Amino acid sequence: MSSAAPDAPLDQAAILATLRARVARLEGTGRAPQEARPIPVCDDLPLPGGGLARAAVHEVLAMAPGCGAAFCALLLARTGGTVLWIAGRRDELLAWPPGLARCGLVPANLILVRAERWPDALWAMEEALRCPAVTGAVLALTWEPNPEGDNRLDLTATRRLQLAAEAGGALGLLLRPDTAHPAPTAAVTRWRIGPLPTAQAGAGLDEPRWQLELLRVRGGTPGGPWAVTWRAAEGRLDLEREETASAARASRGASA
Amino acid sequence: MTGQPCLLPAGGPGSRRFLALHLPCLATDRIRRAEPDLPTDQPLATWAASGSRRVLVAVDQAAAAIGLRPGQALADAEAIAPDLVLRPADPDGDAQALQALALWARRYTPLAATDPPDGLLLDITGCAHLLGGEADLLRDALARLQRAGIATRGAVAGAAATSAALARARLDNPVVVSGIEAAVAAPLPLGPALRLPPAMLADLARLGLRRVRDLLDQPRAPLVRRFGPELMDRLDAVTGQRRTAIRPATAPPDLTVARDLLEPIITRASIDAVLDRLLAALCARLRQTGLGARRIVLSAWRVDGVVQEVAIGTGQPTRAPAHLRRLFAERLEQLEPGLGFERMMLEARATEPMAAGTQTGLEIGGRHDAAAMAEALAQLLDRLAQRLRVHRVAPVASHWPERAVAALDPHAPVPAMPAGWATPGLPVLLRRQPEPLEAMALLSDDPPSLLRWCGMAHRLHWAEGPLRLEPEWWRARPDLRRRDYYRVELASGVRLWVCRTGPPEAARWLLHGHLP
Repeated sequence: MSSAAPDAPLDQAAILATLRARVARLEGTGRAPQEARPIPVCDDLPLPGGGLARAAVHEVLAMAPGCGAAFCALLLARTGGTVLWIAGRRDELLAWPPGLARCGLVPANLILVRAERWPDALWAMEEALRCPAVTGAVLALTWEPNPEGDNRLDLTATRRLQLAAEAGGALGLLLRPDTAHPAPTAAVTRWRIGPLPTAQAGAGLDEPRWQLELLRVRGGTPGGPWAVTWRAAEGRLDLEREETASAARASRGASA
Repeated sequence: MTGQPCLLPAGGPGSRRFLALHLPCLATDRIRRAEPDLPTDQPLATWAASGSRRVLVAVDQAAAAIGLRPGQALADAEAIAPDLVLRPADPDGDAQALQALALWARRYTPLAATDPPDGLLLDITGCAHLLGGEADLLRDALARLQRAGIATRGAVAGAAATSAALARARLDNPVVVSGIEAAVAAPLPLGPALRLPPAMLADLARLGLRRVRDLLDQPRAPLVRRFGPELMDRLDAVTGQRRTAIRPATAPPDLTVARDLLEPIITRASIDAVLDRLLAALCARLRQTGLGARRIVLSAWRVDGVVQEVAIGTGQPTRAPAHLRRLFAERLEQLEPGLGFERMMLEARATEPMAAGTQTGLEIGGRHDAAAMAEALAQLLDRLAQRLRVHRVAPVASHWPERAVAALDPHAPVPAMPAGWATPGLPVLLRRQPEPLEAMALLSDDPPSLLRWCGMAHRLHWAEGPLRLEPEWWRARPDLRRRDYYRVELASGVRLWVCRTGPPEAARWLLHGHLP
């Protein structure tokens, strides 16, 4: 603020925008403002910048495999370009393109990568994020119990991914099962997604409901849980206002 | 591959030049190379069982000097030379060694061929001046093989069979000009020159025919009647009347750059430096010729006569040194320098025309243009495909879940989605192997009401179905059975794609996918 000339009429909004951009650049949560339009998640969620920052790595903790994969697929589809889906070679769960296409991720934009070993998967993710022709990549961690202690996603590894994403401008997603104590990472946001009972709402299983929770966000306040409905036909995530309070209360009651 | 190898004479029949190398003791030399602590003055031989007899197959020079020869009984040989070192014969290993030597000989010419069982044939047309002439080239090859412990004789002539005959029949490693093949072949003995079977050789000797000259003086028709056309074919080849083509060990590359090193190099840093220069030279030549490389092989000649190869492939034709450099970076680990590399060569084995406009790096106002983006993606896929399995997805018009998707080359265009391919209600994740579940249904045709999964019983809130899928009888294995798919929701909200399959009296439940 002190840098602004004292006698000039203070255009507070402009100064704030400039400072925000500078802070964002310092923090590495976004680059090149024209290209880095954030990815909209859901219209009514209070996210800094209005959505998920591109050129950054985000973490999705999934309480069930299906909802996590669908959430990642619809975020990747919204990047609007070539997308890499990186998974382990021997994973029992395979990304299935017909279902992903319902989330908007069409085969023309999808490239599947299978890595034999965990360091290869990390390397592939880093290379993909660094490439300017890729708009998004997801690293899907295995759901099988992992006795070798693989799948190390520590601060160093995620910091590398974050730097790569900043260099290339792609949206990076880390899709991992929701464990009791996930290690801290350098991801810009951390989400938790779980399924909510849907069928009684009337639409059957075609419009699944999820519980979305923003556990951590750089430069913003965490929030949730929110109950959202995925309307596949319209390609839209809807926030359920009346459900929010009760879901939050229920989760707080469960944790207490 | 563009630029088909030209095995026929390019500028008239007399214009080609051939170098033949004869390796008389390849089998035993190979054993001595593998076992360096064998004393060199001790005779060495290989043996094999021939019916119920055990006979010598190959002998080295020391053994030949004391009167041992191939075909001799093993017991006789051991009686003659009690200190004879014996090893079992390994014809497959010998053939492989000969093939490896043909690859090694590609340092002199791209057209290097094996001449089984014990020779090499090199088409050195237009290559000799690089080493100062044919005689110098021959001397260089003999010296290098000698240093590697392989006894060799050689000859250069204007026809492949003539040079092979000269290398076998003469001890002075001659270089003869083209056009006088018949004259130089005439005094050669028949056995080594024509490589005839021993029985035929004995028959000819009984007729007093011992040298090539004797055959040339005879009328041809009676000889053909008695010995078959094979004899005349060989005779014509050796006298240069009939041209024979050679079959190179590898197809000749489209473009080659090579570098001889004064000092053998061992360290990774120096290998990198040489590779950088080779790549720069190769890409410059690719640019001159308007080509892009699809497959590049780096060959490295070790001082002990071993050739190692590292190959890379690209999805799109390319001539960007930095990109190729990165592709090689992964693979250079495979090289084992040992005592050092003395020559490195980079070959573009497959090339494709590449428009001059497809250049990278044009960024106008910070925006990448579409061609640069496509190239960046192609390069990324090349790098990933070096280490991982990368593929695109081709939608297949099939209702059977396992067949709805086919893997596609990552550089290939993706076909359009067929109608009804991505219908609502499909899972986003599919299990590689459907997981057996315990489920309880009230009636045999009902959806389940209770599922046992991951060791816990889950009550179902909701089930939709069945979606009955019949196997594709025109394609599927006969043991596949119809499946009834249900979309179910557990009390926790988890949504699964389960199916019932098997005969009605013993239906099984399987978990096949996860719904959003």
